[in-house]
Amino acid sequence: MFGNLVSMRLLAPAVVLGAVALFLFLASAFVRRRETGRWLFPGAALIGLAAALVTLLETVRLQYLPDGYNCLLGGCTAFLGMLAYDPLAVFFQALVMLAAVAAVVLTVGSPAVPQARRGEYFGLILAMTVGMCLLVSANHLLMLYVALEAVSLCSYLLTGFDAKARSAEAGLKYALYGGVASAVMLFGLSWWYGLFGSLNLQSLHFCMLGSPALSPGESGAAVVALLFILAGFGFKIAAVPFHQWCPDAYEGAPTPIAALLSVAPKLSGFAVLLRFAFNLLFDPRDPETLAYAPAQLEWALWAIAALSALSMTIGNLAAIPQNNLKRLLAYSSIAHAGYLLMGVVGGSQGGIAAVSLYGAVYLVMNLGAFAVVAAVERATGSEDLLAFHGLAKRSPLLAVCMAVFLLALTGLPPTAGFVGKVYLFASLLKGGGSLPVILAVVGIVNTVISLYFYARVLRAMFLLPPEPGLPERIAPDGAGLLAAALAVLTLALGVFFGPLAMLAEWSAGFVR
Amino acid sequence: MGFELAMVLGFFVVSGLALWALLFVGRFLRLRAPRPEKLTTYECGELPVGPAWFNFNNRFYLVALVFVALDVGVAAAIPLVVILREAAAGSGGWLVFLLLFGFLLLLAVALAYVWKKGDLRWLRDLPAPECAPVDTGRPEPKP
Repeated sequence: MFGNLVSMRLLAPAVVLGAVALFLFLASAFVRRRETGRWLFPGAALIGLAAALVTLLETVRLQYLPDGYNCLLGGCTAFLGMLAYDPLAVFFQALVMLAAVAAVVLTVGSPAVPQARRGEYFGLILAMTVGMCLLVSANHLLMLYVALEAVSLCSYLLTGFDAKARSAEAGLKYALYGGVASAVMLFGLSWWYGLFGSLNLQSLHFCMLGSPALSPGESGAAVVALLFILAGFGFKIAAVPFHQWCPDAYEGAPTPIAALLSVAPKLSGFAVLLRFAFNLLFDPRDPETLAYAPAQLEWALWAIAALSALSMTIGNLAAIPQNNLKRLLAYSSIAHAGYLLMGVVGGSQGGIAAVSLYGAVYLVMNLGAFAVVAAVERATGSEDLLAFHGLAKRSPLLAVCMAVFLLALTGLPPTAGFVGKVYLFASLLKGGGSLPVILAVVGIVNTVISLYFYARVLRAMFLLPPEPGLPERIAPDGAGLLAAALAVLTLALGVFFGPLAMLAEWSAGFVR
Repeated sequence: MGFELAMVLGFFVVSGLALWALLFVGRFLRLRAPRPEKLTTYECGELPVGPAWFNFNNRFYLVALVFVALDVGVAAAIPLVVILREAAAGSGGWLVFLLLFGFLLLLAVALAYVWKKGDLRWLRDLPAPECAPVDTGRPEPKP
């Protein structure tokens, strides 16, 4: 366990982000000239994120301090075990910061957010990033809950930031769903604390399986508490049956925020779910000899597998009739929560590495798809499938980029999505047993289903004539350039995935 | 576990019986004096003014939020001082002072923001709403 001074240094990225967020709030109140705000707000946000990324690299160096790198027994924890600074936390913190950078870049030329409110808007994005950084390193259920709320509150506000009435409605819906989910989770936590008197993640396994053995009543209550806590995670990662807010929120939110919501809170939710599941299912004293889930806890694995199968199937089937691209991508992101959950079921070091790898790949391809939607929306004022008709003629660059992202989301080679899916399925099937095989079959069937609705968009872009009344050409702008860069990255990671795979393996290093 | 649940069932049965028995016995013991005032909302002649379903002025909501910023200051400062009392009395006094001062400074940022945005004034001009007001189907509240 790190001492207080090292703890403060490990917290540095979050402190930097928080300070810049405060600066942005103050600046939004005190800067009167609109021209100043136009460059000051996004500039400050980008500088803050860059500084946070640099300080994050510094924390990596700190982890190799001589006083021990034993993350397994809660070694890499700061502030009396409240926050963990292991490779998993660093990896996902970097991912959410990069997603925030993309959201800032997407916003700059976007008409969605009123200029007068941009100071608060960027400030909230940074505040949300602080919350996500704390969430991915949360090592204590109370810290986990506080961080989850910090992320959620900022998301609700950002969802309602558009001037349209639909946006406010989406924000309110999201807030209501989120309020219920977080209340259920908190209720579960209260049961857990009442049963065991501990909220430390490292004690999860011993609470369930330690001696003395639980009475039937106690273990029943513990199961209920765990399921309630799982509901909170399910809401954050938008897994079925906690997904209903997702399409409405993405449709109403400003497109850059929809892009951010579809990747960053989801991935931070996955990071903390991985930490939770690992701490619950593994015996940390001897991880080599024990199976991922001992027989008494196998039901938890089945519950996560059920969430996974439901999310994939319902997400993909519901995406088929969607004509609004943001709703389609929302359902696709629900399905991807299902794919990522396969890695959680796979468990062990390979499963965690696969989730990290697929998370990074998903970040690139989904942000890219949303960037294309943002560019088209900016030019045509619509995110309907009709606005994509004949996009290949109106803007070949955007159409080709979108095609790359959609193929990657399906999981076809030679894109990064294929590599990610291979790792996920491999980690799932490595363990053996009936559950992984059933889940893998469901996953493969769903990949085929997803090809259908992604191909609908491809058909609209490349085979159908342009709709009359839409602009003849769409000039590439900031969003288009971002999409192009991400498309190149998607293809590059599909061929040259070694470094990313190594990073993902490293992020799973807390399982040793 | 079975026995514990039997206890719960027992509680349900006993409480149901007790409720019924009390009401039943009360029937014979109490006076009967029906009056129309007893059927009004507060059952004592005090008449309610207006319907309960009306829109609160959302300035109250803003003031409540500003109050939270100040309230957190007190709620966190007092425990901090109690916990660090010994350190504050000894050589660490300045550190405790700086800790508390830094925290209050953060809260002052919130106050400065609200002040500058004009949300501390009770009467203020607002831009016209950008979307049409929603028809709630209920009568307009009286001012």
